[in-house]
Amino acid sequence: MQPRKVLVVDDSKLMHKMYEVMLRQYPLVYALDGRQALDRLQENSDVDLVLLDINMPNMNGLEFLAQLRSDGARAALPVIIISTEGREEDTARGIEAGANAYIKKPFHSEEILDVIARLETKGSAL
Amino acid sequence: MSERSATESPKSRLESPAVGLDLVGELRSTLERAGELIRVVESNLRGASEGTEGASASERIAELERRLSTAESDVKELASRLVDSEHQGGRLMNLYVATYQLHATLDPAEVQATIAEIAINLLGADQFVLLLRRDEGEGYEIALLEGMYDGVLPFYDGETYKGGDPMVDQTLRDGVLRLGPTAESQALAAVPLRVQNDIVGALVVLKLLDHKPILRAEDRDLLDLLSAHAASAMFAARLFATKDRKLRTLESLVKLARGE
Repeated sequence: MQPRKVLVVDDSKLMHKMYEVMLRQYPLVYALDGRQALDRLQENSDVDLVLLDINMPNMNGLEFLAQLRSDGARAALPVIIISTEGREEDTARGIEAGANAYIKKPFHSEEILDVIARLETKGSAL
Repeated sequence: MSERSATESPKSRLESPAVGLDLVGELRSTLERAGELIRVVESNLRGASEGTEGASASERIAELERRLSTAESDVKELASRLVDSEHQGGRLMNLYVATYQLHATLDPAEVQATIAEIAINLLGADQFVLLLRRDEGEGYEIALLEGMYDGVLPFYDGETYKGGDPMVDQTLRDGVLRLGPTAESQALAAVPLRVQNDIVGALVVLKLLDHKPILRAEDRDLLDLLSAHAASAMFAARLFATKDRKLRTLESLVKLARGE
């Protein structure tokens, strides 16, 4: 089952445009930081997937993820971290925080599409 | 046929009924043998025919195997081409998005931020410097300096780049994109920024992200794009900002003159 809506959380407008082009089959909503992302989730109950950067002002990606995972209603929402932080410990930290997948920037578009397809196949949450 | 029938004449054999009976018996026996022979021949023919069909089937199997091998080879080639075309599509998407975003604003600060975002997110640059030629005075303004958290390299310490890195200096002189590092320079890339034929600055990549060991072939396209578009986007934004500032000043003067 395809996601009904994807929340993109990244402070780079360039990346927003990138996701818009890459994921044109999905409706997207955007947030520039973790706080905005929490607001977007309140406004969009049909968000089924989150693409999450880590380094952002106000509230970073890991802080957002911690809040999301402690939210009973949305705790199981699939999250893909997409970050320039590419060390092994960064990946481990992201997965421990509850991310379903971790992709390093710069990426090839098929990496993200493959992960989304994999999450769709796993399926229950999407 | 019996030995007797082969040696005695037909006339002598027809001389008594007993002989006639013998002949009938012999004829029956001969006919039986002939029947047997026919069955043997038929059997042989059938066997021969089956042997031909077997050979034909094995030929068909060989042909099918050959076709299967060709099909498998085609599938491999198509898969390889698909991967290539996906990569090509990805490269084009990066170039499109970078170009779109560079020209999406007339705010110089936003254009600079976009250049930084391209360098970080699409190129994988960890440390880089954006140099822009000063309108007045010598040297190049250090408009952006990213990733030097443990200390700034000596050439780029301060607000102005006055020269010192041979590869960067050469690029600023002749406008040729250079890749390093070299014996004289630790820069990984010196990308000239051009507005038409005028070199107005350079983007100097000093270090890549740890998980990106080298600049790849597709990065060259992105560097070329930055060379051609970053400067013109910056030039247009600065021009617009200057005009806007002058317009506001003139409007203020007109209001002042009118006593408003």
